[in-house]
Amino acid sequence: MSGCGQASNSKVIKIGCAAPLTGDQAQIGIDKCRAVKLAVQQANEKGIGVPGYTFEVLSLDDQHNPAQAVNVAKKFVSDPDVIAVVGHFNSSCTKPASAIYHEAGMTQITATSTNPELSKQGFKTFFRIAATDDVQGPKGAEFAAHHLAAKKVFIIDDKTTYGKGLADEFERKSKSLGVEVLGHEGITQGDKDFTPLLTKIKSLNPDLIYFGGIYPEGALLLRQARSLNLVSEFMGGDGLTTPVFVELASAEIAEGTYATMVGGDMKKVPSAQSFIKAYEAQYGEIGQWSAYGYDAANILIQAIQKAGKKNRAAVLDAMRQIPSFQGVTGEVVFDEKGDNKNQFIGIFKVEKGKFIYIGPAE
Amino acid sequence: MTARDVFIQQVTNGLTIGMIYALIALGYTIVYGIIQLINFAHGEVFMVGAYLSLFAFTLFSGFFSGTGGSIFFLVLIFLFAMLGTSLIGLMVERFAYRPLRGAPRLAPLITAIGVSFLLQNSVMLIFGPTDKSFPNLIETKKISFGAVTLTNLQILIAVVSLSLMIILHIFIKKTKTGKAMRALADDREAASLVGINTNRIISIAFLIGSALAGAGGVMFGMYYHTINFHDGYLAGLKAFTAAVFGGIGNIPGAMIGGLLLGILEGVSAGYLSSEWKNVFAFLILILILLFRPSGLLGSRVVKKV
Repeated sequence: MSGCGQASNSKVIKIGCAAPLTGDQAQIGIDKCRAVKLAVQQANEKGIGVPGYTFEVLSLDDQHNPAQAVNVAKKFVSDPDVIAVVGHFNSSCTKPASAIYHEAGMTQITATSTNPELSKQGFKTFFRIAATDDVQGPKGAEFAAHHLAAKKVFIIDDKTTYGKGLADEFERKSKSLGVEVLGHEGITQGDKDFTPLLTKIKSLNPDLIYFGGIYPEGALLLRQARSLNLVSEFMGGDGLTTPVFVELASAEIAEGTYATMVGGDMKKVPSAQSFIKAYEAQYGEIGQWSAYGYDAANILIQAIQKAGKKNRAAVLDAMRQIPSFQGVTGEVVFDEKGDNKNQFIGIFKVEKGKFIYIGPAE
Repeated sequence: MTARDVFIQQVTNGLTIGMIYALIALGYTIVYGIIQLINFAHGEVFMVGAYLSLFAFTLFSGFFSGTGGSIFFLVLIFLFAMLGTSLIGLMVERFAYRPLRGAPRLAPLITAIGVSFLLQNSVMLIFGPTDKSFPNLIETKKISFGAVTLTNLQILIAVVSLSLMIILHIFIKKTKTGKAMRALADDREAASLVGINTNRIISIAFLIGSALAGAGGVMFGMYYHTINFHDGYLAGLKAFTAAVFGGIGNIPGAMIGGLLLGILEGVSAGYLSSEWKNVFAFLILILILLFRPSGLLGSRVVKKV
């Protein structure tokens, strides 16, 4: 798979950004790729990287569709200027795409995919910043049992690699904490009407509804639950933590929703402040995922600089030699599988229409 | 909640979405009844209706203080969306289907799929690819009957849908144009021999179907509060199922098919498993096609329309 890859003479080093850029999940993808662009723009301004070369971002839309993700990965791999990729967003997309990057020897760093299986495939090209679901799910369960006094929970997932994985981990931990799991059912992404399931849940009267999934369905579930007078607490994972969730559910209804997410209070990280300022000056309100995209891109930029040449294999080697990286979301240290050793999970709660960090999940 | 309350709640919720299915299904059935074309772009027309109402909201809300409450404001939004979708329906018929009149039946069917893509992608380019939050056109109020909860939106959906269906029924039965539509459904050639302008009547059929879908789109947005450019796809397929369920080409059949599909979907998802909600809808389609291809009320009866 070398071939044309190393033959390009252009003075451009491209960093790929793969995410859903159209469709219902587009917002989180756009938030991420904008941050990648910002990181690259700043690197170019400061002259970081390989002397004589400028960075560019190539953003491709995987439509959160695994088949499309494979096409996107093939496009990146076949472009000799693309040296590394930030992506994909959804675990279900990252998984098939990771095999293609592995074959091509191209570094892939996902900021957001949380399924534990992804790093167990033995792909040396795979890195991630996000905490895995086998950490995030149980931490959420602990918080629900200890701080929300949840004794009976109902679990919903969206049947995707991410959603189901997270919900299964939540369920396992809840049971071991002695919390009664009243049921665990799946819904379909893109569906709009969840009232049949919610009516059933209402009759079971749980203390908490846990949703493993992404914000479009999360917002609809919450809205429909409330219009059925179903008043249980509502909690989810990092798929909910975007301002769009609050917008779609309406601030009034979203109030009091809990979500787990890797990382803590960005406001306390000094370097995050200048990032937020720069981002908001350029694109408007920052998304919850922007910072992770920014960190992922900066790690790649550092690795490329370390490699000192436009070469996929050299960059991959350099990635392995980065001992630790101080990002805006916290410290990133990769283990031998490419996972981030820093698996701090924070609890976020919607207060006055915004997700606010309220403390570590425990 | 007692078991009885749960059942009543499931049926009520199913009826609400069933009303919307029925409105869309009418468009499929009217067009099929007259020119035997499955207009697969119809689901997209419905989706455009939802977007047009959102557009109308931003356009007109400046002239009205506050967001909701005003009946006049609501009526204006409905009319705007219905007028817009009728125009789109007319144009689709004029430019995509009329040139293919007399062509083998597969040609307009493929064209319909093309039109569907065109509408979907146009909306994506104009309004953006992300979910749009739909404003509260009226203030949502909950009405409780014991443990069963209804919203005023659900009542509005029922009232508007049933009124539109009754108006359509009277139109088809009593007016001269309605009579001409029925004549065309019986025998297009004979109808043109007795002096009926077939092109005009076909256009009217598209216009009526699209207006109903437009109204459905507005209520879909109001009910679910989020709309997306690919919402027309699944809703269109479900409504098509409803039309086949009731007997394609049969107007009362489409109404009953829509309502029944909504209820069956709700009850099966609520009592069996929500994962299989869409599977049930299409299972019904397969069963109907296998065992009663003419649908509940029959499609090839003499007075189809």
